Amino acid sequence: MDRSFLADEHVISASRKFVCIRLATYEDAEENKILADIFSRQGVLENTVFALLSPDGKTKLVAAGRSPVWAFGGVNGPGINAQPEIAIQKMAATMEAIALSFPGKGKTDEGSAPLPYIADMRLALNVSAADRQPLVAVFAKDKDQRKKMEQELAKVAWSDQFIGEAQYVLAGDPAEFKTIENFEPRTGYVVIQPGTFGLTGRVIDVLDAETNASQLVGPLAQALGKHQPSELTYDQHRQAGAKAGARWESKTPNQEQGSGRGRGGRPRR
Amino acid sequence: MMLRGFILFGFCLALPLVSVGQDAEAPQKSDKIAWHGTWQAGLAEAQRTGKPILLVSAAPQCHNVPGVW
Repeated sequence: MDRSFLADEHVISASRKFVCIRLATYEDAEENKILADIFSRQGVLENTVFALLSPDGKTKLVAAGRSPVWAFGGVNGPGINAQPEIAIQKMAATMEAIALSFPGKGKTDEGSAPLPYIADMRLALNVSAADRQPLVAVFAKDKDQRKKMEQELAKVAWSDQFIGEAQYVLAGDPAEFKTIENFEPRTGYVVIQPGTFGLTGRVIDVLDAETNASQLVGPLAQALGKHQPSELTYDQHRQAGAKAGARWESKTPNQEQGSGRGRGGRPRR
Repeated sequence: MMLRGFILFGFCLALPLVSVGQDAEAPQKSDKIAWHGTWQAGLAEAQRTGKPILLVSAAPQCHNVPGVW
């Protein structure tokens, strides 16, 4: 992620007027096709993609590319860059202007946004580790029960207090927790500390499944507060991961590496 | 094309109103973007609300070491 754009307070403020979607490249064949339609070169889906799209997902509202740099200027290069303020301001201003053109449908966008979950536990652990955030798993074997819990948690997840503060995943099978320490197959909101490299995790709290949204606020804040994010720098993380043998195999082939364009290192943005 | 033109027109009109360097409206309390993690769920929400989409994608690994963007 290009944090200098996406961590800017005005970009974040503007993002509240968008539906924000972050995918994991090379993890889902269908999503790969969608991403490649939005941006690819010589038919190769590259490691990173950035776009602003119309609500139906069909129209690019700015030039799509590997990062916001492609639309708003700034510094191209490997990894995270300190972008010039003018480029960041341009992104925020453009997003605000686009939001004026797509003001939403009024009441339908209030209070009923679904829980922003990650596709599966394997990926959720990795993404949580990468974001250095806790992971909350909605665990219930019964689908209806899980749906009810998801809806209660969603009300909290989008509140000012919790928005953007954790990652979420839905789980119905205890086997999904096989790499997670201290898990007991009891229906509930399972708060997980992801391992440094996102291959494992540890349960740090479990909140009762019958807890409604208003009752969740206090216990969830307390549970998320138990999370201890990794303090490794990027290079320290990579070196420690290599030394520990931590290795990620994407579900679909890494097309950029396969094309010889990427060499498995930190992608250019 | 028409839509794009409309957006650009709107952008030109709105730019003076959203000069972010001098924006009087304080950013919201939270300091992180909240991401939908799947295309299907995110697109459904955009269609339901009529909001535009901010899309990013990246592989969560470097040199095949996971836990990092």
